[in-house]
Amino acid sequence: DSWGMLACLCTVLWHLPAVPALNRTGDPGPGPSIQKTYDLTRYLEHQLRSLAGTYLNYLGPPFNEPDFNPPRLGAETLPRATVNLEVWRSLNDKLRLTQNYEAYSHLLCYLRGLNRQAATAELRRSLAHFCTSLQGLLGSIAGVMASLGYPLPQPLPGTEPTWAPGPAHSDFLQKMDDFWLLKELQTWLWRSAKDFNRLKKKMQPPAAAVTLHLEAHGF
Amino acid sequence: MRILETCSHTFLLLRTPEGSEITSLDGELVFSRKIFCRGAQNLGLGLGITSGPWRTLGPRPHQSPVLSGRRGAGSLGRGVFGFPLSFSSLSHFLFPPVPSRPLSPGPGDAPPAGSRPPSPGTRRRRIPAGPRSAKSEAQDGKLQKSSPLCPPPRLSRNSRPSALAPQLIHSPGAGVSQRVRPASTLASARAPPAPLRTRPGSRSPLPAGIPGPMALFAIFQKTFLLALLSWRTYQSEVLAEYLSLTPESLKVFTNSACQCLQLQWNVHGLPYHQELKMVFQMEISRIRPSNVIWVGNYSTTVKRDQVLHWSWESELPLECATHFVRIQSMVDDAKFPKLSIWSNWSSWEEVHVQDYPGPSTLLVFPKNKLVEEGSSITICYISGINHNNITCYLHNELIHGEQLDPKASAFKLNNVSFFKRSGTNFFCKVNQTDIQNGTTFFVSKVLEEPKNFSCETQDFETLKCTWYPGVDTGLDWNIQHSQSYTLFESFSGKKQSCKHKDSCDWKITQDSQEMYNFTLTAANNLRKRSVNIIFNLSHRVHPMAPHSVHFENRGATTVLMSWKVHVLGNYLTLQCQVELEGNGKVIQHRVDMKVNGEHLFGELVPDTQYVARVRCANAKHFWKWSEWTVENFTTPEAAPSEAPDVWRIVKSEKGSHIVSLFWKPLSKIHANGKILFYNVVVENLDKPSTSELYPIPASTRDANLTLDLCSYQIHITANNSVGTSPASVIVISGDSGKKTEEIEEEKINSTEDGFFMSWKPLSGDVVGYVVDWCEHRQDLFCNLQWKKLGPNTTSTLISSDTFRPGVRYNFRIHGISMKNIAYLLENKTGYFQELAPLDSPQVNITNLTSRSFAMTWKDYATESQPGFIQGYRVYLKARNRQCHPGFEKEVLSDDLIRCKFDIDDPRKKTFIMENLQPESSYEFFVTSYTGVGEGPNGTFTEVTTSDEPYHKLIRIILPMILFVSIIIVACYWKSEWVKEKCYPDIPDPYKSSILSLIKSKENPHLTIMNVKDCIPDAIEVINKPEGTKTQLLESRKPVRESPLIEPVYLYLQDEKKSSHPGSFICFENLTYNQSASDSGSCGHVPVPPEDSPRQLGLLTSPDNLLKTLEKNYMNSLGEIPAEETSLNYVSQLASPMTGDKDSLPTNPPVPAHCSEYKMQMAVPPMPCLPSP
Repeated sequence: DSWGMLACLCTVLWHLPAVPALNRTGDPGPGPSIQKTYDLTRYLEHQLRSLAGTYLNYLGPPFNEPDFNPPRLGAETLPRATVNLEVWRSLNDKLRLTQNYEAYSHLLCYLRGLNRQAATAELRRSLAHFCTSLQGLLGSIAGVMASLGYPLPQPLPGTEPTWAPGPAHSDFLQKMDDFWLLKELQTWLWRSAKDFNRLKKKMQPPAAAVTLHLEAHGF
Repeated sequence: MRILETCSHTFLLLRTPEGSEITSLDGELVFSRKIFCRGAQNLGLGLGITSGPWRTLGPRPHQSPVLSGRRGAGSLGRGVFGFPLSFSSLSHFLFPPVPSRPLSPGPGDAPPAGSRPPSPGTRRRRIPAGPRSAKSEAQDGKLQKSSPLCPPPRLSRNSRPSALAPQLIHSPGAGVSQRVRPASTLASARAPPAPLRTRPGSRSPLPAGIPGPMALFAIFQKTFLLALLSWRTYQSEVLAEYLSLTPESLKVFTNSACQCLQLQWNVHGLPYHQELKMVFQMEISRIRPSNVIWVGNYSTTVKRDQVLHWSWESELPLECATHFVRIQSMVDDAKFPKLSIWSNWSSWEEVHVQDYPGPSTLLVFPKNKLVEEGSSITICYISGINHNNITCYLHNELIHGEQLDPKASAFKLNNVSFFKRSGTNFFCKVNQTDIQNGTTFFVSKVLEEPKNFSCETQDFETLKCTWYPGVDTGLDWNIQHSQSYTLFESFSGKKQSCKHKDSCDWKITQDSQEMYNFTLTAANNLRKRSVNIIFNLSHRVHPMAPHSVHFENRGATTVLMSWKVHVLGNYLTLQCQVELEGNGKVIQHRVDMKVNGEHLFGELVPDTQYVARVRCANAKHFWKWSEWTVENFTTPEAAPSEAPDVWRIVKSEKGSHIVSLFWKPLSKIHANGKILFYNVVVENLDKPSTSELYPIPASTRDANLTLDLCSYQIHITANNSVGTSPASVIVISGDSGKKTEEIEEEKINSTEDGFFMSWKPLSGDVVGYVVDWCEHRQDLFCNLQWKKLGPNTTSTLISSDTFRPGVRYNFRIHGISMKNIAYLLENKTGYFQELAPLDSPQVNITNLTSRSFAMTWKDYATESQPGFIQGYRVYLKARNRQCHPGFEKEVLSDDLIRCKFDIDDPRKKTFIMENLQPESSYEFFVTSYTGVGEGPNGTFTEVTTSDEPYHKLIRIILPMILFVSIIIVACYWKSEWVKEKCYPDIPDPYKSSILSLIKSKENPHLTIMNVKDCIPDAIEVINKPEGTKTQLLESRKPVRESPLIEPVYLYLQDEKKSSHPGSFICFENLTYNQSASDSGSCGHVPVPPEDSPRQLGLLTSPDNLLKTLEKNYMNSLGEIPAEETSLNYVSQLASPMTGDKDSLPTNPPVPAHCSEYKMQMAVPPMPCLPSP
């Protein structure tokens, strides 16, 4: 109902001059960067949806079947996004951000490995574009962590994930890993959206700022 | 025992059961270190003896020396490794019947000698069977002759096929051929063996230091005797055994990437420095040793201590079944035919690649297999799960395999096709669990032979070779890159990898190499395809396009063209092709040249643009033309070559001739340049000395001259920058002959090509004829066209692109006399294509009568119509579906009927409609028609005929009579009412009934009414100063006498009621007021029922009373408030006698003595009108 939306928008615009957050001239704090990171996760979610469709089609059946759910054989090294709800709630901000940062660092490395195998120029371009976006998300998370005063996690020597085709891997298992990589990436983006939403609410002073957030449909 | 140890050149090793050097090994007779001097004839004899029984040792295994798949399995002859090619026969390939040995393929089945390794026959099948040139076929073939896909033995499972570098797996002594013995084995078997022939140039059989011939002889003799003895002694025992070299140290490696079993063994006991041809026979079993699936031979030359290798590719992935291998050997050397006995089998070597998985594991093999399109692949899985619960899919389609054993199943896919660059996924899952696994195999498209391979040079520095590459066979996941192309030149021995997939640049070195033999090889992981060309460099010259093209004008019609070419090696003679295109023509010439070329073009058209092209090729050995070099040039102008085509129109006007001259622009070919102006010279023939010049700009196409009636000669010339054209001459005579109007117009028809017309020739000498006409119908924009014809022509076809349908063209035919005077001969008119009329006539109606009318359309212009008007058509709408006589009935589509009448004469523009009905409407429509059709449909005009005169009279009189009659009848019918309303009876007081009553009682002339008998309603007091009521009553004076006395009203109503101004009752005694007594015009006045008796009569005569009443009452009305509800009671003295006999009250309340107030009237305050 567009009239309601319009009325809401007008109200918001009317109150904008009175919003302290917008009138502040000093350091805006981590709020905007958290919001930006949240927006980026939603955008990446959208981007990944089309990329995954293209890539799974490239892998061929059964990977592009909607009900295909292979065992997680070689993908054990991928960072898992699924976590117990209680555990997730009990995470503090630092741990939450650190897990996100670490997960995306690893996923980004794995994702760059995908690019080596794909031969289609268009697929490579899409993958490269997504990698750039994911790199941006990683930088964004690092920015949030810096603004909150948390140190960036240091990669342990020797645990740097690489996407060398595993010695025991057949191409089919490799495809399974690719499948899991995309799936895990999707789950991580969902989780990150929740993480940053929670963080955003937490960081926001009550009624301090009004954010006009336009969500693209289709997420 | 050593015999002739000094004979060191050629020897055989024999192991005998006796002595330290002659030992028995497993009861087999093998070579030992017994040395025989090959120069000794008796040794040859000895061997000759031994050869006898050897020959009897059963069938000769080496009779089928070529390594080939065993053929004992029936249908397996053409299969891979002799395996079945279909699922149905898969069991054959797993558990085949053991073939009988030795194998002896028929002559037709034997592969080409020496061309096949002992490895799989699949390679053989992959060679396309299509027709190919012998040359390319010779170049064609597999990357490897033997086990092309097999990398060196590796135990790791992760090696990829991409790492499969071409390798030959054979022992060094085997050579490229690993070839089995040629088919000449039989011949060698028949030929007497001569194994111990002395080498040419060998030294003396007796080395220095040996005692003399006698001693030598003694030794030989002794040796011979001993040898003969020992051979004789052990012949029955030893020769019954096999004399062979058993393969030892057999090791089997596996390579999962190529599904290869790689065998490694060696043969002990070979003499030093000796090479021996041997045949090894391998037997491979699957699942259990007794299930032999493959038997084959491998021939090679074996050296001492040499480690031998051999590879076998399994169609079934090795992981899915245990394999068993054993080997035996035989000397197959022509030098020692006697030793051709199979050795004993080695022990079975078991090959177990993959441990059987547990109950929850599913493994699918092979991994990452690369095959070519059209080939077959076998996929298998092993699992501890019940196989009924496992379903497998290819392209999401369920497929069924065959169970090999309780833990393994296999799927054979035949004739696989390319699916995706990312491979084809084979996928299995266990029902109702999440156990899933699969494999991806890659199907490569078949590498095509490069087509249209050719090389050429443009500058003798670089050879550019091009070809059409065919389909891309590349696959993703680093399985196989797109095919690579390599160029090899055999004379120089140079090789070059090509960067592009369809071309390659080859640098020509300055070593004056003339002949080139190029081999272009396309290769991918599976196949190589080559094409070859051989050529002389000077025969492949494709020169660059010529340059520096110049033109030199030599007059208006000649041009010299020159050009240059890039210098080619040794100043090659070139042949150049020169083309000149212009003026709608193409001229071609050939010119031979070295560096500079030129050509002279003649007979060109002045002021014309030409396109010149030149290209060159090697004159001696034509290969290809160079690209064209194109340049334009224009020839210079020349004087116009022809007189302009002129015609004229002459109009006579007021004693002068107005001459309009028209001319056509000169055609380009005659103008020879740009026409700048025209010159018109007018010469008076009657006064030869006077002539005038009128220059006219080039853009003008006509000129008007006003001349007097003298004869004039007019010259018209066209001029360009170079010169003047010849003149056109026209003579205007004083008498220009007949005028247009004087000659009758003749209609002509047209054809598709135009108007054909003929005319009578002009008498006398004629220069020619001219037909002219206007392109447009309107004379104002005539755009005169003409056609000049020769003197012998009397007919012509006038055709023009400008002829339009529906336009009337008038053609005038003129004859030109010898004096250039034109005479009008004939007038023709016609239409290029007739059309239906554009409009219909505007019809005027005249002479309209009750029976007829006339239609005229005098103003209708027939000549402006797009066709010859042939007549007119009158349409009349039918009345009652009937037509007038002479009209033709026409039924329209909507069931309407109209009548049609044709007027055939176009000049008749009047039509009279007759025999019409008076005062009727008729609808008509007039249109014209041509040979094509009639004019457009218009609206019908309605005409109503006039009426007859007596009809009009009847129409007026009849209603009047009727009206009068009705009035009369009505009056008669309502006579009483009329009478009452219009002349009612006036009552006569003397005829009143009261009077008669009184009369009957007393005096007929006296009428008395007693006041006391009356109940007063109102008492009217007359203002009389001295009078009293009694007096008033007694002295009854007429009102006339006291006109100023105002009546006094006594109101009886309640005061409250009286406050209402509209409702009161007043009594007025008009008896005392003359004017008041006259009020009331009508006899019947409604009176309240309680009132006194009404209308008892009048004292005065009725007429007077009526008049008086009416007059006074009307006066009084002006004084009384005109309220509807008020009633004015007027009392009037009346005579005692009753006047109204009709309305006499039945019970009158009036006593006899109270009759002073005779009458009381209630007068409504309204004008007195007859009441209903």
